[in-house]
Amino acid sequence: MTGTEMTEMKRSNDERRWSRAATGVVLVATILAGCGKSQTTQERSADTTAEARAALAASHRDSVTTSLAPAPGVGQVGLIPAGSDLGQKPGEWTMAARDYAASRFSPLNDINVSNVAQLKVASTFSTGVLHGHEGQPLVVGSTMYVVTPWPDLLYAIDLTKPGGALKWMFGPNADPRSVGIACCDVVNRGATFADGKVIYNTLDDHTIAVDANSGKATWNTKVGEIAIGETMTMAPLVVGNKVFVGNSGAELGVRGWLAALDLGSGKILWKAYSTGSDSDVKIGADFKPFYASDRGKDLGLHTWTGEQWKLGGGSVWGWLSYDPELKLLYYATANPGVWNPDMRPGDNKWSMTIFARDPETGNAKWAYQITPHDAWDYDGVNENILIDQPMNGQMRKILFHADRNGFAYTLDRATGEVLSAAPFVITNWAKGIDLKTGRPIEDPAKRTHEGIVVRDICPSSTGGKDQQPAAFSPRTGLVYIPAHNVCMNYEGVEANYIAGTPYVGASVKMYPGPGGYRGELLAWDPVHQRKVCSVLEDMPLWSGVLATGGDLVFYGTMDGWFKAIDARTCTEKWKMKVASGIVGAPIAYRGPDGKEYIAIYAGIGGWMGAVADPNVSLDDPYTALGVAGAVPDLKQKSAEAGILYVFTL
Amino acid sequence: MTLGERLAATVALCALLALILSVVACESRDTKEASAGAQPFSTFAIGPQPGPDRGLPRAENPYANDKTVLADGRRLFNWYNCSGCHGDHAGGGMGPSLRDSLWRYGGDAPSIFASINEGRQFGMPAWGTKIPRDQIWRVVTYIQSLRTPDEPDPPR
Repeated sequence: MTGTEMTEMKRSNDERRWSRAATGVVLVATILAGCGKSQTTQERSADTTAEARAALAASHRDSVTTSLAPAPGVGQVGLIPAGSDLGQKPGEWTMAARDYAASRFSPLNDINVSNVAQLKVASTFSTGVLHGHEGQPLVVGSTMYVVTPWPDLLYAIDLTKPGGALKWMFGPNADPRSVGIACCDVVNRGATFADGKVIYNTLDDHTIAVDANSGKATWNTKVGEIAIGETMTMAPLVVGNKVFVGNSGAELGVRGWLAALDLGSGKILWKAYSTGSDSDVKIGADFKPFYASDRGKDLGLHTWTGEQWKLGGGSVWGWLSYDPELKLLYYATANPGVWNPDMRPGDNKWSMTIFARDPETGNAKWAYQITPHDAWDYDGVNENILIDQPMNGQMRKILFHADRNGFAYTLDRATGEVLSAAPFVITNWAKGIDLKTGRPIEDPAKRTHEGIVVRDICPSSTGGKDQQPAAFSPRTGLVYIPAHNVCMNYEGVEANYIAGTPYVGASVKMYPGPGGYRGELLAWDPVHQRKVCSVLEDMPLWSGVLATGGDLVFYGTMDGWFKAIDARTCTEKWKMKVASGIVGAPIAYRGPDGKEYIAIYAGIGGWMGAVADPNVSLDDPYTALGVAGAVPDLKQKSAEAGILYVFTL
Repeated sequence: MTLGERLAATVALCALLALILSVVACESRDTKEASAGAQPFSTFAIGPQPGPDRGLPRAENPYANDKTVLADGRRLFNWYNCSGCHGDHAGGGMGPSLRDSLWRYGGDAPSIFASINEGRQFGMPAWGTKIPRDQIWRVVTYIQSLRTPDEPDPPR
């Protein structure tokens, strides 16, 4: 069967499945009819094929109209795939991105465009910890769960008490030596909730399940080893009876992996490595990558020189997503080990790769290498947002990925085919992505080498965006991307592998990109791959984004402004200066009092935010892997803190 | 082995054991009592020194004021991945800046040597287990040259 035939077959299967399952397609019709005001994702009625077909046709007509004369702030209407929120109440937030689709969309709309100007602080809570507060709290029932950066404390806050009262605190006694092993501040991107347990990772490589009521550990499993440079910073995801976690440390020559743990016992069931033999990578007979260059035996060995794959990076420190209908788990792997590309000739698979795996067996179903033979540290871990949206008259199961390399990708998430790709920030290392091969069309002058300073590469290693997650609103069909405008000079240098120490191999100096802005919040149409509107920001955006049913988009800046904009026009509707720079991701929830709340951490840190750390000097622009040159003014604009802010009307 | 040989061997073994036991006993008594004036184990002090200054011998940097080792110190700073944590030019990152005037564990040469040699709390490796003393002193000499006119390969 040719690739095309296979795709066609999968497409028609998808269509059948789509028609059968299309719970929520009614939503499309509802929005088109102009009465999709609120609680929309709640209203799922029994579907008929006819309704679904009508909706598809209507969507197509709408898309044509939109492309001819785009209405302000409206892309293709889209859906969060059915079943993604695991049936949680609209006012809850039980996993990192709220749902399996990684949408970061809350259907709540009490706080909306017309009243957000009255938003004010309801309560604050000090975590007692400095450093970068990435990630987000969870709200399950009437309890909020907050994870701090190292020492990785977990707080449970009783929301039924006025102002919120501490219910319990769990301290994992995380090894302080892990602080010096973590590449990019001692961050933690949060917990997930399942089966009465709050589950999260610690910097010293433990995955811990804490009983949500008692605050006592149910199980505590050591899954990695700081002595070989492994740390853990990512938020786990639970599918069925399995907990999925991955390691950090591609700057220390680790070998990346995704592990599945048993939800009940914490036992490690399997690890799927990002480099090495097919059996180590869990590639078997059912592996069907879309592109020829991702096909072949043991590419995780043969696309490296010698045994460099053992130090090959490809860590799994980003966000996970899951399609309950296709039963596929999605994540992307980090940069290859050692930033000096001349030390590792070859494509360096499976670094920089989006994987689709069967969560039960761990077997890879497809893989797509985004940036073969990376030469810029365009680490590929950014979130994969799962959207059902019409493209060219056909409802497609899309995976949207805005990469560090500056390109926004829309893939068919059943097959791994790249449907479209376009730069979403100033990007000069490649002219585009060849959709026939899936590979970037590089500018050879921007490919870096050992001993040569290659100048003016855009974007910088920190990327068009880093891990800070975008949000998707099914009401507008748009993705809201927190972006950077930073460029760099890059020189590969010889690196010496010493286990447990940095294995970087590059001198990088970053500086602001052209245009007089360093950050941008983009409202992006993933179907047409174009910007609908945006807000230019002075500082690069290191915060995640929240989209709500009130047609608001919330995000924060590294100099401490927390903002709400109109999801359709990008017009600023509200802002407040908080105590420290924002690198976390906002959430919306409904309190036990019935009111809608918005929560965000203030706590500068993370890779770029590390410049605010009193322990870094600014007379060296290479400081903190080169970010000091991009934000030399950060120290003046934000001091460290660790504060949870909660807002309401 | 004859009976006599066996007896002799047993006696020798017993004597050895007795000797070991007495030595262990003596050592434990010594550490318990730490009599005034006894030679202390450590000549590197990170914390404040208890009691009056006893004029303890200090380790001296054999390369103090020797500019000829600075370039080699910088090379070693990169080669042992010090630059990976502390920054290409020691401005900090994963580890603290060594360019500023803040020293958690002392900024004089013996203190910097001790920090490199022994390792420190938040993940600083105990490099004395890997790097020869002579090379550590070269790195110390480079670190002490930062932000001085003698700094080799300063940031640009």
